[in-house]
Amino acid sequence: MNRKLFKLSLIILGILFILALPFIIQDRYFQHLLVLSGIFIILTSSWNLLAGYSGLLNLGHAAFYGIGGYSSALLALKLGLSPWIGLPLGGIISSIFGIFLGIPSFRLSGPYLAITTIGFSEILRLVSMNWVDLTRGSLGLYGIPPLTSLKLPKGILIKFVSEQNFYYVVIIFASLTLFIIRRLVYSEFGISLRSMREDEMGSESIGIDTSRYKLTVFMISAFFAGFAGALYAHYVRLISPEMLSLSETFTVLTMVMVGGLGTLYGPVVGAVVLTFLSEGLRFLEDIVKLNIRFVIYGALLMTTILFMRNGIVGLFQKKTQGTKG
Amino acid sequence: MILEGINVTRWFGGLCALKEVHFSIEDGEILGLIGPNGAGKTTLINLITGYYAPNSGQIKYEGKDIVGLSPHAVNKLGISRTFQIVRTFPKLTVLDNVRSGLVERRQRSPWRVALDSIIKNPDVQMIGSAGEGRALELLEFVGLTEYRDELAENLPFAYSKRLEIARALATNPKILLLDEPSSGLNPKEQNDQVTIIRRINEQGITILIVEHVMKVIMDISHRILVLHYGEKIAEGRPEEIYKNTRVIEAYLGSEAYAHG
Repeated sequence: MNRKLFKLSLIILGILFILALPFIIQDRYFQHLLVLSGIFIILTSSWNLLAGYSGLLNLGHAAFYGIGGYSSALLALKLGLSPWIGLPLGGIISSIFGIFLGIPSFRLSGPYLAITTIGFSEILRLVSMNWVDLTRGSLGLYGIPPLTSLKLPKGILIKFVSEQNFYYVVIIFASLTLFIIRRLVYSEFGISLRSMREDEMGSESIGIDTSRYKLTVFMISAFFAGFAGALYAHYVRLISPEMLSLSETFTVLTMVMVGGLGTLYGPVVGAVVLTFLSEGLRFLEDIVKLNIRFVIYGALLMTTILFMRNGIVGLFQKKTQGTKG
Repeated sequence: MILEGINVTRWFGGLCALKEVHFSIEDGEILGLIGPNGAGKTTLINLITGYYAPNSGQIKYEGKDIVGLSPHAVNKLGISRTFQIVRTFPKLTVLDNVRSGLVERRQRSPWRVALDSIIKNPDVQMIGSAGEGRALELLEFVGLTEYRDELAENLPFAYSKRLEIARALATNPKILLLDEPSSGLNPKEQNDQVTIIRRINEQGITILIVEHVMKVIMDISHRILVLHYGEKIAEGRPEEIYKNTRVIEAYLGSEAYAHG
């Protein structure tokens, strides 16, 4: 009972700390990194659902991210749709694109699926580069409206232009994402996903329709990735085809691997650590005059694979991984 | 008759793995399937469970043709199986391995399962649910209760074979197809396996068993079907099979053995 109370108070303290962070450190750049971490948490968690839990190595995840971003941005720019509707719509449109990867995954697995997903994301990146009339090509979309201000009674207006306020929006959505993914993973749905990852023939033999599960999980994952993309678009308010690039996918991959693949909180840890690390090392880029970020990512990835297979989170886990692991 | 095969034929390239095989399994019996290596025993199981389709012929389950159904659909009809090389889920706990077999017992679509999971419908919860109770019952049945939280990859070989049986039983089958359940086991483990299989059968589950270990198959089967190079060469009660000259020639080999 005492332990439980201790745990509960720790959780409450943690939540209070997260909520108070932008007040503790008022620096806007720091707050900007917090927001980016939050968006990455949604993105990495969605990728982890595919690669970590379902064994579907999707190397085109940035495409889902980009589709969500572009959809919501274009809906706001061309049709004047409220970004608040654009967020879920970006997710849903991305989810529909998830079908295009879900179907090939019925018959392709491992490296073959991975190559297909790279092709998928490259095609979409090229479309976003070359459909100049719609996307303005490599110039990207700018002037994307921010999240519309919320009007509360008594004339209180909450604007979402500042990093501080956007931080809370991101925190809410990131928590919601984690909450849903947690429920999905620690239930029968999660057992089906994991059994599919472990042995497809074995899963079929116990009645699991692996094809339909793959399609479903691709769509769910794409939804969250698209949602993260839409959040990003309305936050930074400037997006370019860079968003759909392979390096974006590899950033996500590195975050998840370093944090802990196939664990619930690995992607969270990875997203936060790497967002801050890569920004913290930015001063090096001026010195060595090259994109040092990916050199660091590469080194981290190799270290993780060689010395801590289950990432940072894995270091704190017990050897046998129970259902709550 | 619960399962029936009519003229089942399967080719692999130029090789005929099964040639116009007729078979039938009565409700509640244990049918043994034997034959030398490459006789087509595993192929037959794979054909029944939908992993391969026969080139010609029919396979009827409770009177309905099941050819062309995918493995998961076959399982949902009430046909469950184990594999010659165990296919348990190594990185899942022993308990989760059995639970995985319970997921589809209500035959819901993945979307429905996902939604139920999100709204925390008690049906899909893993802890303290009816599902867990059933999973524990099955672990008890195969004697693996104490390993419930162990990862399946850490189980000794004999136990992982039993775990696979428990998982197959979790899907609530009417007929269970066992592909060499005793191969690679020591005599004591083989005996345990025989006991488990008998007890499964006593619960009214029909069993088709492929086996190389003669002692096991002669001991346990009500009837035996013998395959040789893809053709059925004999069918009958164990005593009859023992005396069948074609079987002795094809399978047991030397005449010396036949005369004891």
